[in-house]
Amino acid sequence: MSNYVVAPMVIALFTAILTLVVRSQPRLQRSVSLLGGLGYATAVGYLVYLVFTGPILTYQLSNWAAPYGIVLVADKLAGFMLAMGAIVMVAALAFSVRYIDEFGQQVSYHPLFHFMLVGITGSFLTGDIFNLFVWFEVMLMPSYVFVVFYSGAKHTRAALQYTVLNLIGSAVMLLAIGGIYATTGTLNMADLTIRLANPEAFGIAVEPVVGLAALLFSVFALKAGIVPFHFWVPAAYEAAPAPISAMLSGVTKKVGIYAIVRLLFTVFGAAQLDLGPFGEGSMLLFFGPIMLVMAIASMLIGGYAAVGQSNVDRLLAYSSISQVGFILLPLGIVATIPLSGGTLGTITIGETIYSIPIGISTSQLHVLGIVATLLYSLNHAVAKSLLFLVSGTIYESVGSIDIGKLGGLARTRPFLSGAFLLGGLSLVGIPPLLGFFGKLTVFNTASAAVVAGQDVGTIGVVAALLGAVFTIAYISKAWTDAFWGAPSPEVERATRPTALIAIVVVVALLLVVLGAGLDPIYEGADSAATAALDRQSYVEAVALSDAGVKP
Amino acid sequence: MMHVVLSTAEKATETGGAVVPERNTQFVLAAVLGLLFALGTFLVLRRDIVRVVWGVTIISQAANVYLVTMGGLGGSVPFVGHGTHGASATTDPLVQALVLTAIVIGFGTTAFALVLTYRVYQEHGTIDLAELGDSHE
Repeated sequence: MSNYVVAPMVIALFTAILTLVVRSQPRLQRSVSLLGGLGYATAVGYLVYLVFTGPILTYQLSNWAAPYGIVLVADKLAGFMLAMGAIVMVAALAFSVRYIDEFGQQVSYHPLFHFMLVGITGSFLTGDIFNLFVWFEVMLMPSYVFVVFYSGAKHTRAALQYTVLNLIGSAVMLLAIGGIYATTGTLNMADLTIRLANPEAFGIAVEPVVGLAALLFSVFALKAGIVPFHFWVPAAYEAAPAPISAMLSGVTKKVGIYAIVRLLFTVFGAAQLDLGPFGEGSMLLFFGPIMLVMAIASMLIGGYAAVGQSNVDRLLAYSSISQVGFILLPLGIVATIPLSGGTLGTITIGETIYSIPIGISTSQLHVLGIVATLLYSLNHAVAKSLLFLVSGTIYESVGSIDIGKLGGLARTRPFLSGAFLLGGLSLVGIPPLLGFFGKLTVFNTASAAVVAGQDVGTIGVVAALLGAVFTIAYISKAWTDAFWGAPSPEVERATRPTALIAIVVVVALLLVVLGAGLDPIYEGADSAATAALDRQSYVEAVALSDAGVKP
Repeated sequence: MMHVVLSTAEKATETGGAVVPERNTQFVLAAVLGLLFALGTFLVLRRDIVRVVWGVTIISQAANVYLVTMGGLGGSVPFVGHGTHGASATTDPLVQALVLTAIVIGFGTTAFALVLTYRVYQEHGTIDLAELGDSHE
């Protein structure tokens, strides 16, 4: 059963290769790509079902026991993220078959799309930090090509910026990984968790790991486009084809968020040390204030910049920066608060018993914070990719996404406009859409912190309110300027891409369905958040054969 | 450089496998790494795109060299049967495997970055970043 963990990756990899092989027959290639995408979604669906109804599944590559071999771990957190990715992927892939020109599809689009999917899946599943680096690279390389896909002046410029920034990010990530290996003597996440929780038993120093973890965090922040690592976002999202912008903002960004939750909360949070001005306790206390500041800066800078944009794609890109602030905010709030009443679990490896702190407080506040992050991520993944697909449809139909040239779309394209409105309202947070519950849990986390007597909660509430005002401002600006009013000459001449509109409408309805049927999703997010903090179950599932090797 | 490395290996053998590198090696490598990172950073901050790409390449190669040093200096080549003085006499092979992976990835990305530079030149008629920035707004 645990071999099943690799199934989604294998399917995506084979689809990528198959679409390369059948390149000479475009029609067959598109069918293979679509079938492969559906197969991937089915495999992910079954994996998620297995993980949510049973234990954590692990796959030891070539049967090399952890911590020596590479291990893939499918737990509820990874399952939640995989499901989110699969939803966006199916919509984006179906959209691109009708949207991308035939030649582009034939030459490189489909293989690259599936290779990117392989990288995304690997990043969610891996249980080894160097392997995480490799999957990041697998994910990034196709995305470099996608940003420069149209290869015009604007696109080459954006891709250059994107590539150089990410290459530097990769070098920094290697430095952090090397340092962690030198100080702790392991690369396996579960092994690392035990070592950081029992530094004396292994004769290692925890203090240097704080700085190395901060280096890793900056790389994840670059992937997630959090201020001050957001400079590549607007140009890249504008240059990439619309379905790829949907994937980049919907899924690739969440890989960065997932890595932050997995590495900081599951792994590095296990370390207990004296952090000077940050207090004494879990290493999370150091990252809490940093995340909080970055989240608030993202919400405000991104939101402010989005209001002033005259191009739909750029507006959505700045909105992405702002929304990722909402995603990071609850993490920042709960990381700042010292854990009260966290229990101490034990792990037996070989003959030795190691203790391991479990990051769930009696008030469940930490779980709530991660639930807010996950729900908001899901909302942003679906709503923002919907909006990028709408923007692509407008481009296909009108030939421009310059807000000045649009207007009156609500009259001529009611379904398309309705989809935009639903996506926009979900970002704003109107019930019963999914976005309402995302925002509700974010505010709920902040107010629970206030109730617990933490000032950081108040800061969170005020910042989130300001951010929400910006969201309302830029969504209503886009709506009134591009969709209301009298139709512009360009809109009068527009074509009607029925297939694209149909896909967009389905995704918009999904937002309503997910919001109305929230209960199972909330429970899923809740158990995923518990899985992120229950370090004992994670380490036990990896079944370390040996943890006695000293660095 | 060669001499320093040799003497480390000799010393490791003499002490019966304890991997204690000489301070010289550490100092030389630290200085070289610092120089490589400084050079890479300097090149990344240039206006010429080709130099920026070289700068990124040098930074990632410097990261590779750094990664090799993270496995501990000293010890002999990690071949099976080579470490006759016990396991600790060979150097840590894991970091070398990591670096090999990183080099392969670096190959791909460098090639892509150079092709991209050429495309930027074709589209904009310049590889000067300042002119590229002016052409944007």
